Amino acid sequence: MTRKRLPIRRYLRALHRDSGYLAVGLTFVYASSGLAVNHIADWDPNFTQIDRTVPVALDPAFARLHLTEDAASARRVAEATMRALGRDDAVKDVYAVDDAHVDVTLDGTMLYVDVGKGLVREEGQHERFLLRLANWLHLNRGKKAWTVIADGYAVLLLFLATSGLFMLPGRLGLLGRGAVLTGLGALVPILYVVLSGGP
Amino acid sequence: MEDETKKGLPRRHFLGQAAYGTTVLVFGSSYLVSQTLTARAEAATRADGRPRLPPGQRVLEKLKPMGGDPGDPRASAFRLQVGGSVERPFSLGFAELLKEPTATLSLDVHCVTGWSLFGARFKGVRVRDLAARAGVKPSARHVVFEAAHGYTSNVLLAEALDPNVLVTWELDGQRLAGPHGGPARVVVPDLYFWKSAKWITGIRFTEQDEPGYWETRGYNNHADPWREERYA
Repeated sequence: MTRKRLPIRRYLRALHRDSGYLAVGLTFVYASSGLAVNHIADWDPNFTQIDRTVPVALDPAFARLHLTEDAASARRVAEATMRALGRDDAVKDVYAVDDAHVDVTLDGTMLYVDVGKGLVREEGQHERFLLRLANWLHLNRGKKAWTVIADGYAVLLLFLATSGLFMLPGRLGLLGRGAVLTGLGALVPILYVVLSGGP
Repeated sequence: MEDETKKGLPRRHFLGQAAYGTTVLVFGSSYLVSQTLTARAEAATRADGRPRLPPGQRVLEKLKPMGGDPGDPRASAFRLQVGGSVERPFSLGFAELLKEPTATLSLDVHCVTGWSLFGARFKGVRVRDLAARAGVKPSARHVVFEAAHGYTSNVLLAEALDPNVLVTWELDGQRLAGPHGGPARVVVPDLYFWKSAKWITGIRFTEQDEPGYWETRGYNNHADPWREERYA
């Protein structure tokens, strides 16, 4: 009587496929964030920047107010600035830095009002919503449970890489094209360390 | 007869070529400007004899916001605590900070990601003046810059007291933007820029070294750009 062999490769393929499905979501998160953060020297992967200066026609009498001593006057300057800019955003805070400068805090941006010069500089940033989330997850800024999830994902990737080696029988087994490509892939980090001098 | 409308560049092809050309022009010109600035910078030296551009850096035209968990940009909410190993701890609101003796310095800054900015004019208060007001105890050896959301960076006391180290609120004549750490940040120009904590909330003088946020995450504890002290 011949013993029936376990269909190991079939099980491996099924496990590899299902692990692959599980890994798709996180792979997109880590890969897109990896690309974004790798080029952090060239762009801001989390925010788009706003920085513009515009002239506004303010009441010349504002220049004679003692803004630091009178919060109501500073608020009047802020309201006049918002009107002049045609803005109806909610003003979250008004602060007179000195008698010629008022900071107006809006949601996500700041207005720096130069009362004397009649200039308003708006600066701030808008977040790149999806990418910022991906970067936040990738850099594990949340800590706690995400460490466990990230560890699980790393183990899943190790399994995918290992099972991928044995999933399909090559004509020459492990010594054919698979061995050459695997060797090339492993050689990349080794060569980089050797050529760059390492850490 | 040949249809005249079929002559010339098809619309889709034209749009593709135009997009490609624009991309090449935008990124190419930006790259060329950076390359030109870098080549010029490589020939320059500092007063201390070191090259003006540290190794592995390229020069940018303006300061880049490098992220971080943003702090409160409101000057009204700003409070700077100066304490630790000092005789007279104190705290300052934004308007009070502006009344301290100020300095406007032209500084070069160097980011660990590989860019440098030359001649940025920062206005602020020297950390050494704040240290003098607080009366730093002789036993203090280190400074911890504390910032929003628990960010910290550690610097040797001797380096933090260098006259070019500032708590700054103005860059190139304009208020420091929120993404750059406004209302106020530290600038420690001779160390990699992560040491220059944005959205600063405190300066704490210590006897023992206390590695900061990035220093405990694999970055170098000292961070000298001329020695390429990027990683631990």
